[in-house]
Parts: sequence; structure tokens; C-alpha cells
Amino acid sequence: MFHQILLQIFQKLNNERTISAAYHILRGKRSGQTIQDIGLFQLHKYFGLLPKLPRKTFDEAVTSFLQYSWLTMQQSGHYSMKKLGLQRAAQTPDFLFDGWHYRGNEHVFFARFSLIVQSLSYQSAGVRSFSPISRDTNIQSWVRTFLIEHNYQDGHLQQRLLEECEQVLSVLPLSDANKQLVLYRLSGQSLPGWTWQQLAGERQETVLDCQLAFIELLHTLLNEVHETNDYPLLGKIAEGLRVKALVTDSAQQTAHLYEQGYSIEQIVQIRKLKQSTIEDHLVELAMNEPNFSIGPFVSYEEAEKVWQASKHYQTKKLKTLHEVVEGMSYFQLRLVLAKGEV
Amino acid sequence: MELEQTLVKYFGYTTFRPGQKEVIEAILEEKDVIALLPTGMGKSLCYQLSGYILQKPVLIVSPLLSLMQDQVEELKRFGEKRVVALNSFLTVSEKRYVLHFLEQYRFIFTSPEMLLQQQVQDKLSQMQLGLIVVDEAHCISQWGFDFRPDYLRIGQWFSQVNRPPVLALSATATNKVINDIRDTLSLHTPFEFLYNVDRPNIHLGRVIFEDRTDKTHWIMQHIKETAGPGILYLSSRKRAEQYSAALIQAGIRAAAYHAGYGAEDRQFIQQQFIDGELDWIVATNAFGMGINKSNIRQVIHETLPANVENYMQEIGRAGRDGQSALAILLYSDGDEELAKFVVTGDLPTAGHVDRYQELLNQHMHPSQMLKNGEVSETAFRVLDYWLQQETVEQVKVRLNHLVLEKYRAVDKMHKITQTKDCIRTQLVGYFGQKLLKKPENCCENCGIHYDEINKVRLKEEKKIEMMPWKSRLKQLLMGC
Repeated sequence: MFHQILLQIFQKLNNERTISAAYHILRGKRSGQTIQDIGLFQLHKYFGLLPKLPRKTFDEAVTSFLQYSWLTMQQSGHYSMKKLGLQRAAQTPDFLFDGWHYRGNEHVFFARFSLIVQSLSYQSAGVRSFSPISRDTNIQSWVRTFLIEHNYQDGHLQQRLLEECEQVLSVLPLSDANKQLVLYRLSGQSLPGWTWQQLAGERQETVLDCQLAFIELLHTLLNEVHETNDYPLLGKIAEGLRVKALVTDSAQQTAHLYEQGYSIEQIVQIRKLKQSTIEDHLVELAMNEPNFSIGPFVSYEEAEKVWQASKHYQTKKLKTLHEVVEGMSYFQLRLVLAKGEV
Repeated sequence: MELEQTLVKYFGYTTFRPGQKEVIEAILEEKDVIALLPTGMGKSLCYQLSGYILQKPVLIVSPLLSLMQDQVEELKRFGEKRVVALNSFLTVSEKRYVLHFLEQYRFIFTSPEMLLQQQVQDKLSQMQLGLIVVDEAHCISQWGFDFRPDYLRIGQWFSQVNRPPVLALSATATNKVINDIRDTLSLHTPFEFLYNVDRPNIHLGRVIFEDRTDKTHWIMQHIKETAGPGILYLSSRKRAEQYSAALIQAGIRAAAYHAGYGAEDRQFIQQQFIDGELDWIVATNAFGMGINKSNIRQVIHETLPANVENYMQEIGRAGRDGQSALAILLYSDGDEELAKFVVTGDLPTAGHVDRYQELLNQHMHPSQMLKNGEVSETAFRVLDYWLQQETVEQVKVRLNHLVLEKYRAVDKMHKITQTKDCIRTQLVGYFGQKLLKKPENCCENCGIHYDEINKVRLKEEKKIEMMPWKSRLKQLLMGC
């Protein structure tokens, strides 16, 4: 699965970035460049899937891609996909990740959920004390409040949660094996969970692939819960975990000043940041805020020209566009590409 | 109320374990106490019960954050709500809250580093504590092994005049260590309770091999033929994973365990082992803390551990039910060299000292080397502590000395692997005690009939199969 995901990212990046760009996307790097790549190449689903991905693991995958002749790499770190690689990429399934909206928060959801399930399991068995699976005191107090608010002492919460889980899992368009995987990351009274190592052995795949299947299922589940009102309990457990503010905090601050009418130069002065950083923020806003207008920086005609050139030359490379569309700065080009075709 | 009644009321037990009552009585007489009790023998009950009787807050200084968390959880399990861990995990606002209401807690857990903070000391000095507990007190003297320089720094705090009684707890300590504990904590003619380190139901085997491949072969064969539950200890994470893979391949219900796995995975393994779904844990020395499984029948050491203290603690996990159990120490030529390599791997070197100075001269913060991954966290802590106290040359001498100390500890363990005398007598003697009576099948040198202790492994242990997700879900929530 990891290899398939990487192939898809490389394909979407269209040979216009270095291989490291894919690494930053998977780790969810909060830099202007990465955020911009996400929008330009439509890579939202992959953002921040593996925040702790070791560089070594990533490089090993790239090395095997080179060996399989799926791609070639230049000294600069730029790559280009070969025919075989493109074929392989075309054969990969469409994954249902939604990294952009969850950014690792799926693990918070699962920590809450598994502590709730564990508590209810011990309650069903009439055992009052156990070692909580989550040591995080925030999770523990969240779960305590949840259980009390839902009158767990009546003993009916188990049945209600069971029904919601059965329903949501039945609806999800994912394999039974992956649903089973997630159920085995839970534990209960006399029902220990299985380690990643054990699950990987059973499924005959790598630990990383198991973890990715797990994340995919959680993203799908969270979106299903989010989109309908059919799951009051799961909806509560998922509360506050879907990312609403899609821009970084720093970009948010810049946006605030910009809306008050300060110019870029003034914002640079006020925030004591580099001009290029402020420009990054504005590009980020152009990409994520539908109401943000690039009008003050670029005319409609100029934007049109950029899009025509981009189509004509089949590229989103700034350098190329800078050469062919005369008289426009890199910042202007980035704004146009970020805003998307009008 | 009688102590026994208090015990039933708060913990539901009807009798004390050896040592507990003596220790608690001494505390109630406001004596300082040094108590050496093995893990799993209810060390913490000594201060827990005292806390309920004293009706004043008990301060527990504990060096390991994970252990602290265990103890907090344990108290909460018994229904105690007035318990708090004052440690570096708290956010600034949480810490402010906890400090403000500190006197309202019954049990306050904290780390030596926290205790060094002025605001914490100020708050504590305004409070009336009932008891101060120093857990894992051997870290005071053995700091060379466990790297807790902060324990040295808090020594002064204990010399204040009006302090409450101090209870120093440890599972393992030699006479030398006990002296250090007494001095550093300024204990006044403490009551000492030293349990008998000998565990007569653990039979002490030892097997010597020509080379490592013979050893591997022996381990595989032995585990295939004899019954668990057991722990196989190895010196590295990699070897633990290799052995566990090989054993699983051979149809043994085994799993690897080391600190490189996530917290959930580690808990899953422990639970599986306790529930009898696993027969063998293949582990580094990270496995064992807080494990309560009474029927462990075998503990095998693939190579010698860092020191005799660790060895005793690790084999002590076998046979807690009082039934016969077997500890087998394996040795092949050169193992002591490997052990020496492992025990010093985490120490700062003279090179690190120079680098520290270099960064200081460049007006950079020395913690830079920690961020760059040039040095481990524990090593940096030691380095940082001593370089603030002493000159570069002194620190280098000290580090050298540390290495030698570690080597010496390995040498002592090595001696046990080579001795032709009674191994039990040697081990007990190491802790300054005398062996009163040799049990049947005492040790390799006195003679062991392995077949009298080991049970033959039954082949029909069933591997646990995965259930379909719906059944698993139902079983988790409804119990059926």
C-alpha cells in the first residue's frame, strides 16, 4: 500500500518536483511550498498521513522504484516517471484517505474510542478495575465525561454503541479484512488487542501497510460519521477532530492584517517576517479561502494568460511559465496557480 | 483501628505480605525506614496504607515517569481520587492548578527534577507532609547505573530539620548501596527491613557453550521441548526480534517485547501473556516492570545482564506462585565483552565533553548536541550535571571511572557464569546475606535434575485465530 501511495503521489506531482516533495506531503510539513503543492497537484488526501515517517523508509522505497525502473532520478533530486511506473500507478486502487481534514486527529478519535470500548467491556464483565489502554490524561478525562454524560451506568450504552458501529462499518466501502484489522487494535476484558507486528504477520504485509489500512478506514469512517446525522455517539467521539481552519496559524495572522488593509510591506514590518514568508501566506490563502481575491495583485487578463500557457505547455513549473508569460513575478504566478482556473 | 482492618477497608486484602506490617508500624512511630522488598511483593502498599492512617499528604519521589504513571493508575483503580503526578508532563496551567491545591491531595507523586524547582520546594515547605517516600532509592547510589544525577541534588533537601519520616524503597541493594542511601538522605538511625533475597523455588541453571551458534540451537530446542510460560532475555532489540521470529516460525506462541514498540502494543503483549495467549516473551530488559503474572515457569538469559542486581530482579519474575521455576543463564566465550560494550554504549565519552565545551565557546547551547542526535538523553543529563559542577578534566576522570565501574559490575556477573561453587550462595552473598538452606535442585553446580522441574511442552496449544469483525465487535462490547 505504501508503494502504491507513493506511486500515486509521484504521478500527480507530474515530474515537476523533487522526490522530497512527496516525503514532505506524507509527513504533513507545514511549509508554504508543501501546502501549495497540495493544492496545485490535488494531493489533499495524502497530506500528513505519516507524520513520523522515517526518511530511511522513504528512501528505501524510492531506491526500489529506481531498481524496478519505475522512475529515474536526477542529481538535483528531480525525478521522472517511466512508462512502467505510470502503468503501475494506473493499476493502483483509488484510496479513500482524507489526510487534509484529519491530519493525525484520527489517532485521537481512536484513542478515545478504544478507551470507551475497553471501559464498556470491563463493565459488561463486571470488573471494576483495569489498566487503561490510553495513558494520556486528556483522553482519560474526555472519556470519563463522555461515559457519564451517556449514563453508562444504566448498562445500555454498549448496545447503542454496538448498533452504531455495526451500521457504520457495514456502510463503509472497504474490505472485511480491514474492518477486522481495526477491531483487533481494540482491547477489552480478556480480549487483548494484537500488535502491529502480529497483524502484519497474519495479513502477510508490512507493519507500515497495516497502519495505512488502519488510517484509511478511520478517515472513511470519520467522513461517514461527519456527513450524516445517523451516528450520535460516534459523532460525539469524533467531535472537534475534523480540521476546519485549513490554513496555518501564521497565515491566519497575516490574513487578519491583510483584511484590515495593510500592504505586504507593512505586514512584513509588523510581523517582522521576510517578504517571501508573507507571500507564502497569501498564496496559502488564495488556495484555501474561496473569498480571498487575488485581484489586487493580478489582473484578470494576466491570469488568463498564465492558464493558457500552463495548458499549452502542459506544466505548472514556475520557471517555464515565468519565461513564457512576460512581465509577471513568481509571486503573481503562484497566486494564479493557487487560486485555480476561473 | 487495627492495621489489618484498615487493610481490608481500603484494599480488600485480609493479610499482609512479609515485611509490610513491620515497615508500616515503623513509619507510624515516625521512624525513618529503609525497606528492601522485591517488586511484586507490595512495596507501594507500605506508603499507601500509611497515607490513609496518617491523614496527611504523602510525597512520593519516583525517578521513572512510566513507573509513576503505573502507581497513579493503581491507586485510582482502588478508588483513590486524591492522587496526582506532579511531573514534566503537566502543562503550565495544569501545573499551576496542581501546585495551588497541592495540600488537598493524599498522594503526591513527583520526580527528582521537579523537586529541584524553587516553586515546588516553596509550596512543599508550607505544607505538613505525613511521609516522604523515595522510590527506587538505589538510584541514589547506583546513579552510575541508572543515571539519576537529580537524586544527588535533592539530597540537601532531605537534611532540613523539621521533615517528616522518610521511607526509602528499593527492590535491590547491596550493603554499600544501603550506606549511600542512609547518608545521602540524612536518615536518622533508620529501621531497616531487608527481605531475604533467596528465592528457594527458583532453580538456578547455567549452560556454557563453545560458540554462539550452539547456543541458538540449544535455545530453539529447549523452548520447543519444555513448557512455558517463560521469558527469554536478550541484550538487544534486534536479537529479540530475530529470536521471536524464529520461535513463531517454529510454532511457538511467542512475541518480542522492547521499548521500541508503541505503548499500546506493549500493553497488548503483556495482556496476551497474562491471559495465556502467549507462552514466551522474547524481550530486552525493558520487559518486567509492573508485570504481575504469578505462573512464569522459566526465565532464560541468552547472555549475561549488566549486573547481578538486574539478574536477580529479572529471574525474580519467575515462580511468584511459589511453585518450582527455572532460571537458566547461558554463556558462550566472549559474552562478557559484548555485555561491556552494551553497558557503556549509553555513556558520554571524553569526545562528548570536548564537544560540550566547544559549543559553549561558540556561545551556543550545549543541548544542541542532544537535538543533533550526537548523544543520548541520559548521557546528556549526566554530562550536563557534572560539567556544571566540575572542570573538564575532572569530568573526564569521572567518566572513565564510570566506565570502569560498569565493567566491574559486568565482571561480577561474569564470575557467576564461571563459578564452580554453589551459584545460589554466590548470588545471595553478593547482597551481603548468608544462605541458610540449600533447596533440592539448588543450582547447576550443586546438581539439577531438569526433568524434575520442567514440564514437557504440550503440542496442542492452539494458536489464537482472528474472528470476523462483527463477532469481535460484539464480544468486545457485549462480552459474547
